[in-house]
Amino acid sequence: MQVLRYIGRRVLFVVPQLFGIILVSFFLVKLIPGDPAVMMLGPTASEQSIADLRDKLGVSKPLVVQFGRYMHDVVRGDLGTSWQTTRPVTEDLFQRFPATLELITLGLLVAIAIGFPLGVAAARRKRGAVRRFADYYGLLAGAVPDFWLALVLIFVFYTLLGWSPPPLGRIDMAVIPPPTITGSLVIDSLLAGDLRALLSALGHLLLPVLTLGVINAGPILKMTQSTMERTLNSEFIRYAETCGLPRRVVLRQAVRAALPSVLTIVSVLYGFLIGGAVLVEIVFSWGGAGQYAVQGVLNADLNPVLGFVVFSAVLSLVIYLIVDLLYFALDPRMRG
Amino acid sequence: MSAAASILDVADLWVAFPSYREATIYALKGLDLRIAPGEMIGLVGESGSGKTTLARAIMGLVPPPGVIERGQVAFAGLDLRAMDEETRRGLLGRDIAMVIPNPRAELNPVLTVGQQIANIALHHLGVGRKEAMAVALDMLRAVRIPDPERRLHAYPHELSGGMAQRVVIAIALACSPKLVISDDATSGLDVTVQAQVLDLLQSMVRQKGAATLFITRDIAITAHFCSRIGIIYDGQIVEMADTRAFFARPAHPYSIMLLAAFSHNPALRARWTRGDVAIAGQRAGAGCAFAPRCVRRQPRCLAEAPELRTLGFGHQTRCHFPVQAPA
Ligand SMILES: Nc1ncnc2c1ncn2[C@@H]1O[C@H](COP(=O)(O)OP(=O)(O)OP(=O)(O)O)[C@@H](O)[C@H]1O
Ligand code: SF4
Ligand SMILES: [Mg+2]
Repeated sequence: MQVLRYIGRRVLFVVPQLFGIILVSFFLVKLIPGDPAVMMLGPTASEQSIADLRDKLGVSKPLVVQFGRYMHDVVRGDLGTSWQTTRPVTEDLFQRFPATLELITLGLLVAIAIGFPLGVAAARRKRGAVRRFADYYGLLAGAVPDFWLALVLIFVFYTLLGWSPPPLGRIDMAVIPPPTITGSLVIDSLLAGDLRALLSALGHLLLPVLTLGVINAGPILKMTQSTMERTLNSEFIRYAETCGLPRRVVLRQAVRAALPSVLTIVSVLYGFLIGGAVLVEIVFSWGGAGQYAVQGVLNADLNPVLGFVVFSAVLSLVIYLIVDLLYFALDPRMRG
Repeated sequence: MSAAASILDVADLWVAFPSYREATIYALKGLDLRIAPGEMIGLVGESGSGKTTLARAIMGLVPPPGVIERGQVAFAGLDLRAMDEETRRGLLGRDIAMVIPNPRAELNPVLTVGQQIANIALHHLGVGRKEAMAVALDMLRAVRIPDPERRLHAYPHELSGGMAQRVVIAIALACSPKLVISDDATSGLDVTVQAQVLDLLQSMVRQKGAATLFITRDIAITAHFCSRIGIIYDGQIVEMADTRAFFARPAHPYSIMLLAAFSHNPALRARWTRGDVAIAGQRAGAGCAFAPRCVRRQPRCLAEAPELRTLGFGHQTRCHFPVQAPA
């Protein structure tokens, strides 16, 4: 009951939050220099045809009017058209967002698989090889840029060893992709029972997922370690020790208490990576959402940029809602 | 009392807290303490005198950077310091149980009361999950928590302080331990609840036949609950006596100071209290530790540290010039 009331309140807040986000990003995006009409017609176009196109696009009207028109369309689920792809932005994004989500979801799972156990192990010992390794790891993961690591991995695993497929998209050119259901190639090829497509998709995911995983394990490691150190020193863990509970039981209780903080950092990383994985997407020609938005910025194609912002905002709000529900599940004190 | 007859035998226990910047702090300086089976002994001393450190040292859980430098801790004839960790963990919570002062912070916030009591039964009594829950319910009844079936599923933050303290007592006594260490267990409760919880603790340990080390800063409480009283000052026992003898003829100036603090006679308080001033000529660690605050101080006290000596009838004190006649 408590939970349902909470969700209801959150969903109510989503509307003004989304409006605010679109408002701010609309005016920010309009500040980007570049005239779409010039871009579309090319350098040889006449003044007159540019002016005509500007009128047709609506970009000659005052900004407030443009915003009103944009909102009018957004409410109807229309995010405009991209002049580069000549397709509705909504359609483009529905194709590209799953690519990005598949990438960063798997990337973060790998990051958790590396960072969490390492953080727990490092917190248990103040000295020793594990602790030192964790310290260096945190330092390096924070210092190395993701695209650079991506290039190194490509050089080693594709160029030198030939173990991974070329960094060109999400699936072999020669393999027919499975019919789109969720947009995730892994899930869709599983649903279609298409082993060839599945293997090819996994092969292409390998290096970009590894890149994101290795880099983002850094902050997860740090957060896990510091939270676990605090928890292991907390009063209730010391009490559990005086009760003579077995070591693994005490450790399990401590890990359990550290989960909410780890959840927080993972959700922050997730929200960030929706756009923040763009360099990795570019290196692997992933065709994801971030790449799409950057193309838009570079070519004064503003609808894709705004559409990307709207999509990410909705997604972030959904993620934070899920995270809050998980907090509810993890901590009885929140249930009040 | 022979070593075999005592349930706990602490001898010459030294616990140090090393520090990089300053001199090492000794929280315990050769502490001796014996507890007979079923005995309830009160340990009284001011804040920082080493009471919690003693409780933790007995359990082998001195918090880092603290270390036990020297001494013996024997439980029912077993050397706790020589014991391997797994065996010791098996004793803690089962044979040696702890009652803690701040249960709402020390109980696990994400486990229900029932789960926490059942955990103890599960790991120490070797019973199954269902049986462990039955033990938990029995214990909640035993500590007289109202509506125990419902409280079984409550989380610590849903309990009042007094109720949380009862849960801690239930956890401590679930396995019928031979020794219960209660550290400041009721200091966080208001007076009426405190009395109820103390009564409960006393009747529970009596019923289970457990010996109790009852640690407190409040000497008045011990008069009602303990058969023997130990006074701890600066990591050492300075007086140890049967309760009757102690309250009739306290011998150590510090004990009398503690008692005078409870009297309604300001002249008595003034007579036994002295400002804490460092004394010129006394080297650190030399002489009597209480000398700076002692009203009976004499030159010998600064030069020579007093040993614990027996005045008679198991009445011991650590003072060159103990008060022999009633104060
Ligand atoms: N973790 C620690 N690090 C450094 N010194 C410590 C630590 N714990 C205790 N000490 C030292 O040991 C001495 C005794 O502390 P202890 O907690 O045993 O006192 P206490 O008698 O339980 O006091 P209180 O009545 O306030 O609980 C203190 O003076 C303190 O200086
Ligand atoms: S030895 Fe001296 S200073 Fe110490 S308590 Fe006794 S009289 Fe006081
Ligand atoms: Mg204490």
